[in-house]
Amino acid sequence: MTDVVVQGLSKSFGSNHVLKALDLRVPSRQFVTLLGPSGCGKTTLLRMIAGLEKATAGEIRFGDRRVDTLPPGERNIAMVFQSYALYPTMDVARNIGYGLEVRGTPKAEKQDKVGAVAKVLEILHLLTRKPKQLSGGQRQRVALGRAMVRRPDIFLMDEPLSNLDAKLRATMRGELRRFHLDLGTTTIYVTHDQLEAMTMSDLVVVMNEGVVQQIGTPEEVYGKPANLFVAGFIGTPPMNLIPARWEDGALSVAGTALPITLPAGAPADVILGVRPQDVTIVPAGTLGSIPGKVWIVELIGSERLIEVELAPKLRVTAEVRASHRAAIDDAVAIRPDPDNLHVFDPATGMAISG
Amino acid sequence: MRPWAAAILYAVLGAITFVVCFPLLWAISTSLKPKDEIFRWPPTLWPENITFEAYRELLFGGSVASAPGAGVAPSAYFLTWFGNSIIVSVGSTIISITVATLAAYSLTRFRFWGQRAVPYIAILGYMVPSVIFVFPMFLTMVSLDLTDTLFSLILGYVCITLPFCLWLMWAFFRGVPIEIEEAALVDGASRLQVFRQIVLPVALPGIIAASIFSLIVSWNDYLFGRVFMNTMENLPLTVGVMHFFDGTHVDWALMMASSVLMTLPMAILFGFMQRHLVAGFGAGAVKG
Repeated sequence: MTDVVVQGLSKSFGSNHVLKALDLRVPSRQFVTLLGPSGCGKTTLLRMIAGLEKATAGEIRFGDRRVDTLPPGERNIAMVFQSYALYPTMDVARNIGYGLEVRGTPKAEKQDKVGAVAKVLEILHLLTRKPKQLSGGQRQRVALGRAMVRRPDIFLMDEPLSNLDAKLRATMRGELRRFHLDLGTTTIYVTHDQLEAMTMSDLVVVMNEGVVQQIGTPEEVYGKPANLFVAGFIGTPPMNLIPARWEDGALSVAGTALPITLPAGAPADVILGVRPQDVTIVPAGTLGSIPGKVWIVELIGSERLIEVELAPKLRVTAEVRASHRAAIDDAVAIRPDPDNLHVFDPATGMAISG
Repeated sequence: MRPWAAAILYAVLGAITFVVCFPLLWAISTSLKPKDEIFRWPPTLWPENITFEAYRELLFGGSVASAPGAGVAPSAYFLTWFGNSIIVSVGSTIISITVATLAAYSLTRFRFWGQRAVPYIAILGYMVPSVIFVFPMFLTMVSLDLTDTLFSLILGYVCITLPFCLWLMWAFFRGVPIEIEEAALVDGASRLQVFRQIVLPVALPGIIAASIFSLIVSWNDYLFGRVFMNTMENLPLTVGVMHFFDGTHVDWALMMASSVLMTLPMAILFGFMQRHLVAGFGAGAVKG
């Protein structure tokens, strides 16, 4: 039972402030993903929790234990690195058992534990091989085995799937999730891949420029983005963000009034967010729609993306069935689903709750 | 490849190999000839009568200890010189490698002022010919009262081998991913355990390559031995064998037999370590 509490954590490399007074609580036994673009500070945060980087300010606690002053080896954590970081001169069995070895675990006990983990990961037949003789997926399993064998309080994973091919990545996603459910160990997982974050996590922590943007379940960060960054970052294709005007109780986009009401106190200029999945293409002139011209049409398999130009430089993407035909320059109209609109204040970037 | 092209290639390579190997073959041949055959004209490429007299004299011709004093034949010193050479080359190599490994590790793993400049300055130092600093160094040895000691030679050889060993190890450590050390730290290993159990085994090919370099340089050196040492008992092999010239005549058989025996340790070492040497110069190819 170990929750992780991060309080006022800052990290600077010279004048580069990577983390800015960050607060975070990772509940015990949960799978929590740190998600963000590269350079957002997610890996630095993970390395600080591991003890591989020193904090400039702030503290980290595991349960009641303050750990930010402890060396990594005394935090009872295990980490899976992006490069796997297997010990190249040791065979698989010693790679997995090294953590037990340096802790002075008796040989027989060590062998039992390594064997048990190898069995779960289906790598028993590889125990005498060197890392060089393993495939990417096998190395990945050894790295996982090394993390699991010590029964740590917390798993830390730094983009562990990013070096695998797409197919294996999909398989490993499911396996990692299963292992987490079986072991119930608190896990902090760093990724820039929102698919991994959405499919595996109990909680997603969206980060940008050293600041937590939103913490929520995958449903929450997708369905109720807290600000413009989260709205634009989560979801493929990305959410349409359309400038709109709120005046005299009417919302207008590109000169067309929409039958939508904003809560009291909304500023005059707003940004309307609507996911391509929530935009329908209707014939020009339909009531409550915004007229435009088809700009480009892209087939992405079962769906088709239609980008419609409403005004110069103002385009909206709609995701429709592949059977929907459209030609470039067709006069059409779009109708955003009024139940799935997000409204943001352009001055603060924050969502205006409706 | 076409047969005629292959034939030309092999002919050229064969000729080069012959030119390179001829001195060694000639030394072996001469060392096995009786004295009258050495000067015969036309010379024989391979001895007609093989004799091991020169080798017997060098290896079993009695030692200085059994017949001390003046008038001892130079060949009686051979084993002493051989021992001296082993002591100074192994000694200087151990010091060079230890210092170079630790220094290179800290240069790649810790951050401090001037960190990037050190390896470059070191390699620059290596490019200065040793003739330039052998005399200042001799004067230093005089003031330290170290002249004519094996220790002075060890120090001298460390000075010429350390910069390149440092450079080699530095290049090697730069190719060792830091994650494997971090993984070991997370696994609970101490800094020293990380260095001994993770870093050193990975760096072994580099260490072997640097050791071979250092051994060869100090084993083959003549200059430092000539300048620093003067009593017969303390000479390294390279300087000692010059006593087979005694002003009036040259004992070619002894000279050549010494050369062959001198080459032997390095040749054997090379045979065993060749594989590691290649791995060492391919430093950085260790990502696993």
